[in-house]
Amino acid sequence: MIHRLIAALFAALMSLSALAQDPPRTIEMRVDGLVCAFCAQGISKKLGKLEATEEVLVSLENGLVAIALKAGQDLSDESLSRSLTDAGYTVKAIERKAESLDAVRARLKAKP
Amino acid sequence: MSLFPYLGALACLLPAVVFAKPIAYQGGTAIMGEYGAGTMQEVQAFYAPSYRWSAGIGLLHLEADDHRFSRDIAYLRGNLLLRRWNLPRAQANVFAWGGIGTASGSDFEGPKTGWNAGGQADYETLRFYSSLRTDWQYAQNAYSHRIDTVQLGWAPYAHDWDRLATWFVLQGRTYTGGIYEGVEPAALIRLFKNGRRGAVWVEAGVTREGRLQSMFMFNF
Repeated sequence: MIHRLIAALFAALMSLSALAQDPPRTIEMRVDGLVCAFCAQGISKKLGKLEATEEVLVSLENGLVAIALKAGQDLSDESLSRSLTDAGYTVKAIERKAESLDAVRARLKAKP
Repeated sequence: MSLFPYLGALACLLPAVVFAKPIAYQGGTAIMGEYGAGTMQEVQAFYAPSYRWSAGIGLLHLEADDHRFSRDIAYLRGNLLLRRWNLPRAQANVFAWGGIGTASGSDFEGPKTGWNAGGQADYETLRFYSSLRTDWQYAQNAYSHRIDTVQLGWAPYAHDWDRLATWFVLQGRTYTGGIYEGVEPAALIRLFKNGRRGAVWVEAGVTREGRLQSMFMFNF
């Protein structure tokens, strides 16, 4: 009986911890060819039209594009890659993060 | 005097060599205008359904440096991105274009059908910019001339999207077909800024003869 109680308690704790884990709020993409301001404008317009996009950040200095997701929404790696390839750029890496876009912005500005 | 020997040597030194791009981005419209030291004036408008091609219209006015003749050419043009290299901190492109239009001039009879072909290659980082461009215009029994332009640019600071980009640019240009004798060098300053409604590019400077050389571009 005690064993069953401990197991149930453990399972409940595990699900609580899963619930506590933040869902991704931003997607960061490392992009090659990101040097001109035209590039930034084109990418921002294209990604900004996606339904799950709340806001887009383009950093030429860091070769990075970040998207803030709308609550409860996500974008597949495939659709992100396709959007950037269609815009004329090469995606090197995609990473999901729990931090806000403002936090990403602050982190990039703090970079030496 | 042709610029091509110099441009060829430069092309060997640089990984690739552009200018205001004829295709800005997918779904983008570009409006450009240039005042070329009194010798050439051009306005263009292009729409790009894809980052690989754009189409639009242009008007070109040419005035020979000795004022022997002038020409006005109105054209429809298609631009094609032949090749792009996306590098970690750089981009290089090769564009080609072709078009047809109508031309009139003080040195030939009546309006003629005019043909146009050209190309551009560029290499750009956040601090360095180079471009090579050739534009050929032809009308049977009327004229055949080419405008070749090379630009080298340097940015005093790396610009990010939300900052004003500043470039110092050196330009060399030649005209064939008796429009201008020799190479026309110019020193320019280029400013670029993104805004909510679009991006604005303004470039202005002087040629060796002290004439104004300027260009603007608006992308939205």
